[in-house]
Amino acid sequence: MANRFGLPDLGVGLGLRTVHYAHIVEAHPEVDWFEILSENYMQTAGRPLEWLDAIADVYPVAMHGVSLSIGSTDPLDRAYLTELRALRDRTRARWVSDHLCWTGVSGKNTHDLLPMPYTEEALRHVVDRVRAVQDFLGAPLALENPSTYAEFASGQMKEWEFLARLAEEADCAILLDVNNVFVSAFNHGFDPRTYLAAVPFDRVVQLHVAGHTHHETHIIDSHIGPVIDDVWRLLGDAWRRAGGASVLLEWDAEIPSFEVTHAEALRARQFIGGAR
Amino acid sequence: MSAAGGKLREEQLWFAGAIMTGAALDEAERRLTPGPKLGPRERLDVYRHGYEARLVECLADDYPVLKHALGEEAFTGLCRAYIARFPSRSPNLNAYGRHLAGMCEGFAADLARLEWAIVEVIHQPAGEPLTLETLATIPMEAWATARLVAGEAVRVLTMDHPANDYFQAVRDGDTPPLPGRACSAVVVYRGGRTVWRMGLNPAMHRVLAALIARQPLEAALSLAGDEPPERVTAWFREWVSSGLFVGVETG
Repeated sequence: MANRFGLPDLGVGLGLRTVHYAHIVEAHPEVDWFEILSENYMQTAGRPLEWLDAIADVYPVAMHGVSLSIGSTDPLDRAYLTELRALRDRTRARWVSDHLCWTGVSGKNTHDLLPMPYTEEALRHVVDRVRAVQDFLGAPLALENPSTYAEFASGQMKEWEFLARLAEEADCAILLDVNNVFVSAFNHGFDPRTYLAAVPFDRVVQLHVAGHTHHETHIIDSHIGPVIDDVWRLLGDAWRRAGGASVLLEWDAEIPSFEVTHAEALRARQFIGGAR
Repeated sequence: MSAAGGKLREEQLWFAGAIMTGAALDEAERRLTPGPKLGPRERLDVYRHGYEARLVECLADDYPVLKHALGEEAFTGLCRAYIARFPSRSPNLNAYGRHLAGMCEGFAADLARLEWAIVEVIHQPAGEPLTLETLATIPMEAWATARLVAGEAVRVLTMDHPANDYFQAVRDGDTPPLPGRACSAVVVYRGGRTVWRMGLNPAMHRVLAALIARQPLEAALSLAGDEPPERVTAWFREWVSSGLFVGVETG
């Protein structure tokens, strides 16, 4: 238990995806844990929850959201938070995470993780909102560094400084996505090691890895395909700096069989010291 | 909590407007920085394209057979019009496509209604099905006035085209021609984790619709008209066995 929040190192897990539901429920494969996409199980009373209940009864889960919109200047959505907390309680999720981003404004949702201007004004805004969410949940919120493709000219600091100051000032946890670090490093022209050097690793409770799509002029965080070795090496570096943290593979498009996906996730063990 | 205003809000309003409606794209040059290989406008376009592609993909997931019927180009055009008219206002996309049938005409509208009914029953609780054994416990004198309670994951559709037949043919890998007008009805429901569709002839539709509307059993079954009683009984047993009903009210 290396992080300051006392949250457990669950091992190497997989993002839970619908195409794998039946295999998981019927074959009960040996998997350390699953990360669920929170919104997939909200505003529904039907089949998604039935599958989730069957899986959460057997495996540890953590929740990962995409619509908290912590950076938006719209008011926090209390109905969303209420449903989020209920889902957390229903699944006994070990923690709740979302992204350092905003997803919409004026009541509209783009369903994308939009970049923040890294300004003092934005920092104050997000710190206040993270505190409010944590008070509501009664637990630390983990925020993930997003992959970004644009940067506001108004920025007054780099993303890593914004993330570190946010985590300290709001006293929140970090979900560090090392693929996103790699993607953003290419898109913005920085060294990923500079990013890692600035992360307060005592706040890192989870690490993400994923595949991406290289378009030569930019990289898209597509969550397709296997993880490249450069990203695996970043994972190993981050894992050691954190003194251990739960690792999770995201694979969201052109998803192969459960066995292939899980085997890819388990490659993480080669890069985190083969401790498990 | 800090005020939700100022420069941050102004930047978010611009960025969201640019990617959702293409407004004020020329402001990208002063609002965004260039990257190593892409200029500000190209960087903004990554988000613009992603926004539309994500919602088109969502609609294609919900309406795969409508996409097949219309073809890729026409379906994408329909989606673009839909996205412009109905921006998402929800944390998730479960119900995003609910208005699509309203933007279609003729057979496409019927097919869209059928595919949306499938989405709806997926997100409704299946409930504990009423069994024939439970029905058998109802006293004979209570049968005429008993009323069945339909499950929440049940939808009955009447259509001007045989959309269910077309849907099934496409699911079976065929490429049927678009059908002409012909009245049809179908019940869409969930049994456990599986979504089922059952075609209904006019008499079946009259009876089932009445049962779902909680009309008394005797009155509902009488709507079968000249159908032989044993056939009506067989329909009734199949509907109950399929889990369309979750309760019965007597008295």
